[in-house]
Amino acid sequence: MNNHADTLGKRRQRSTNIAAFVFLLPVFLILTIFIFYPIIDSFIISTYRWNGIAADKVFVGLSNWGKLIGDREFWFAFRNNILIMILSIVIQIPIGLAEATFIEFAGKKATVCKVLWFIPMLMSSVAIGFLFNYALAANGGMVSAVSKLFGGGNIDLLGNKNTALITVILVIAWQFIPFYMVYCMAAYTNVSEDVYEASLIDGATKGQYFWQIALPLLTPSIKSAAILSMVGSLKYFDLIYVMTGGGPGTATELMATYMYKNAFVQFNMGYGSAVAAGMFILITVLSLVTMRVINGKKEEA
Amino acid sequence: MKKRTKRIMALGLSVLMCFSVAACGGGTEDTSQGGGESNQASADNGGGAADTAEAPAADSGSDSGDKVITFWNVGTEGADKETYEMAIRQFQENSQSGYTIENIPTQNDKYKEKLVIAMSSGECPDMYTTWSGGPMNEYIDSGYAQPLDDLYEKYGVKERFMEGALEQASYNGKIYAVPVKNISIAGIYYNKDLFAKCGVSVPTTVSELEAACDTFLANGIIPFTLANGPKWTGSMYFQCLAARKGGLEPFQKAAAGDGSFEDECFVYAGEKIQEWVNKGYFPEGFNSMSEDDGQAKAFFYTEEAAMYLTGSWNTAAFKTDSEDAGNDFYSKVDWFSFPAVDDSSADASILCGTMGDQFVSFNCTDEKLDAAFEFATYLSSDETIDYMVSASLIPPVAGVEDKITDPVSKSIIDAANKASAVQLWYDQYLNPTVANAHLDGNQEVFGLTMTPEEANTKMQAAQTEYLSGK
Amino acid sequence: MEKEYKKSINKSRISWVSAILLAVIATMAAVLPFIFMVFNSFKGKFEMLTKGVFAPPEKLNLTNYEEVLAGGFVKYFGNSVFVLCLSLLFVLFISACAAYPLARFQFRMNGFLYAVIVACMAIPIHITLIPVFQMTKSLKIYDTIWAMIGPNVAFALPISVFILTSFMMGIPREIEESAEIDGCNKYRMFFTMILPLAKPGLSTLAIYNGVNIWNEFSFAYTLTQSPKNRTLPLAVWDFQGQYSMNTPMIMAVLTLTVLPMILLFIFAQDKLVKGMTAGAVKG
Repeated sequence: MNNHADTLGKRRQRSTNIAAFVFLLPVFLILTIFIFYPIIDSFIISTYRWNGIAADKVFVGLSNWGKLIGDREFWFAFRNNILIMILSIVIQIPIGLAEATFIEFAGKKATVCKVLWFIPMLMSSVAIGFLFNYALAANGGMVSAVSKLFGGGNIDLLGNKNTALITVILVIAWQFIPFYMVYCMAAYTNVSEDVYEASLIDGATKGQYFWQIALPLLTPSIKSAAILSMVGSLKYFDLIYVMTGGGPGTATELMATYMYKNAFVQFNMGYGSAVAAGMFILITVLSLVTMRVINGKKEEA
Repeated sequence: MKKRTKRIMALGLSVLMCFSVAACGGGTEDTSQGGGESNQASADNGGGAADTAEAPAADSGSDSGDKVITFWNVGTEGADKETYEMAIRQFQENSQSGYTIENIPTQNDKYKEKLVIAMSSGECPDMYTTWSGGPMNEYIDSGYAQPLDDLYEKYGVKERFMEGALEQASYNGKIYAVPVKNISIAGIYYNKDLFAKCGVSVPTTVSELEAACDTFLANGIIPFTLANGPKWTGSMYFQCLAARKGGLEPFQKAAAGDGSFEDECFVYAGEKIQEWVNKGYFPEGFNSMSEDDGQAKAFFYTEEAAMYLTGSWNTAAFKTDSEDAGNDFYSKVDWFSFPAVDDSSADASILCGTMGDQFVSFNCTDEKLDAAFEFATYLSSDETIDYMVSASLIPPVAGVEDKITDPVSKSIIDAANKASAVQLWYDQYLNPTVANAHLDGNQEVFGLTMTPEEANTKMQAAQTEYLSGK
Repeated sequence: MEKEYKKSINKSRISWVSAILLAVIATMAAVLPFIFMVFNSFKGKFEMLTKGVFAPPEKLNLTNYEEVLAGGFVKYFGNSVFVLCLSLLFVLFISACAAYPLARFQFRMNGFLYAVIVACMAIPIHITLIPVFQMTKSLKIYDTIWAMIGPNVAFALPISVFILTSFMMGIPREIEESAEIDGCNKYRMFFTMILPLAKPGLSTLAIYNGVNIWNEFSFAYTLTQSPKNRTLPLAVWDFQGQYSMNTPMIMAVLTLTVLPMILLFIFAQDKLVKGMTAGAVKG
């Protein structure tokens, strides 16, 4: 009897395994071709001194890695990435959530808002970079205009070493808030409408409903949004490349722009690959650790 | 009712999904094949590396065998595009070689990246343009360019070009490229109206220039317009000042490893820049403004700024922009070479810039190379040259000054003809890593966040590291 | 009691007013740059430089648009639509396939495989350009619009699987269990139960990936070379000369590029809302 149940269980497990295999096969095929293979390739190239185009590479062992570990510019770029990461999570997700909540509460009336708020997401980084270069220009830009209105002088946000990074972070936030808005809107659909109606009948205000009922139910989605934001900001490239090119000096240099510079501009493909592989390790470890922490907490609760 | 719609929806969805399963199945099959082939491809590549080491040029990118010469360039618009197309027409009409040219213009911004990717995969085009200098030398060292001295002899075109242009197309004593387009040198465009209004005449020394700047400031005019976001714009000031202070020797010695970027002429250049920044010679916020988006031009066009130190390719832009707007702005513009440093004995006719701007290199051999070179000769045929001159481009050919009637271009070509030497842009001449160190440091010098000495030390450190790795 | 009620009404009115105020600010922040983009697309190059970017255009100058539309824009547009549709179809289906077992099955490698896929989000795309280029060449699809589909799908997959997995975890387990008792196997369950329930997640993904694929630049630039095979983001760059950037022209291209996306979103968001409410589990 017991034995019988055991084999039944085993058979069931086997059919589950097979189903899992079938469902996961396509994704792993594609990832192998386009992602695993290139990343292994870049680990291999990182052991060569190579300009990226010559037929002969010089094997240098781990010397690129040694250089990377002691490379102050790389770690400075990493620091910038971390700053972008923290501020992106702190700025983008709460605002995105607030917008989604507003739309959720306002219902049909907020359709216009939904469309208009979504526009930044639709624009390409080129357009955004261009427009903000003008909007933030010290002479004739919007920020300076506002400052003058209050009797201040012109403000040069992007040209100043101390403000360039935070300015770029705000522009990135502008670009990505709509994504987190849509993400939170989708998450709201998992909170059943009945719960909402019931809580209103119970006399809860909308504020109470949000803080005490909706927010806890949304927490898992917010956690994964944080992971997304984290990974995204650690490999960020586009807007920085268009807006500042890493400047002034190296004030807004990121890991990805640093890698790009080395690999494609300075003919250091070997070192550029080491930077890329280093980035990969750092981002993976950081995100997996974060997920472990988040999930661990979930089990406790 | 509700249930029914739900069921219908589910049905429809599953039909759709079945359809996409079929599509997906086909797709995964394809891609799995792709995986196999790609592995093979990488193995091929690994094995092929040894082959290509012996004769890399033989492995030209295009599907060899057919008589098509692929030509990569950045002429996507306007006069650039027309110049190439014109030469192709002439070649197709006149050539007996039987080859045709496949013109592939791509946008400038990531052109170098595209070349690196193609070359690293052994897919280098048969002909491609470069800006000469460091990157061109890398391509040559890696075996993607052919020496052309014999072909220059054969077609008898050597005399056509200005000597300085051929010099920049050479590497280790051989000519590796054909100079194409614009003579592009750093100089100062100025607004004649504003000069007259403030009673300023064209300065010949730096102290006169500074006096002029002070006069402009007193009249509420910005002396220089500058957008230093892309960094190479501010680098022109550094290069001109250093060349006027110390001539060419300090730079060439430093670049060759016999001297140092900590030489006094580089310190002078950095200090002058900071002095000028402090005096307010540049528009507010210049250090982050974008040159490509026209933020520097805007001050010049609105006549808020009197001078614009930049490359001479801008003549064409000034002319067409002014024509498009239907005003007389262009008639107010003229040009002068960077003035001499008062107490320096350096030759003030030296120019910074490039004598061709675009140089065509060749990655093919034998018959194909011959045909490709024949095509390149049409880039400096009389017809093409006439067109370029009419479009305010200055081709780097001998005797071009006789064809030029435009007054601004005339000033520029006179300076070019008088020049005893032309110093190629630092950021193209130097190894790219060193060049970046210079550009980054110089931007901080402009931003007053780094002293000239610090910036020069950084640049020298990059140079030392580069030389030690060579 | 009455007083209390009024107070709460007042309070909620105040909070509504402030919420609406904030919403107006958010709307302005989101829309202003867009308006400037459209404004500048009507200007001449010289006009933009002399009058400034923030001045309204002197007149509705359509020459930029005419020139853009004459310059092969329609072909680029068609290519973009084709690449977008095909890539999206693959991304959504494959990621749904992958998310289902990761979210709902219990098997030994589950956590590990999930971690591997998540780790793939950490790949900087530029490092893959060279291998992907070589692969495309050897598959003989270089310089065709097919070349872009593979990379587009591959780079959208990790994040899509990640989002969908967490979304599917939120679907109540009871539904599945009752279906299982009815003798429904895992494959049928996927098509009949899970996919319909995952629609809100899928539509979020469609939007997110759709926008990214629509604006994708690096692969399109590397993997194609003839104009007939290019997509819209490359069109933007084709209007950039070597030294003189014709900014108003670029703004015209960008406006034309964004416009279909906005129209699609206005049109689709209605469907989206329906999809979301249909997905919400009631009773």
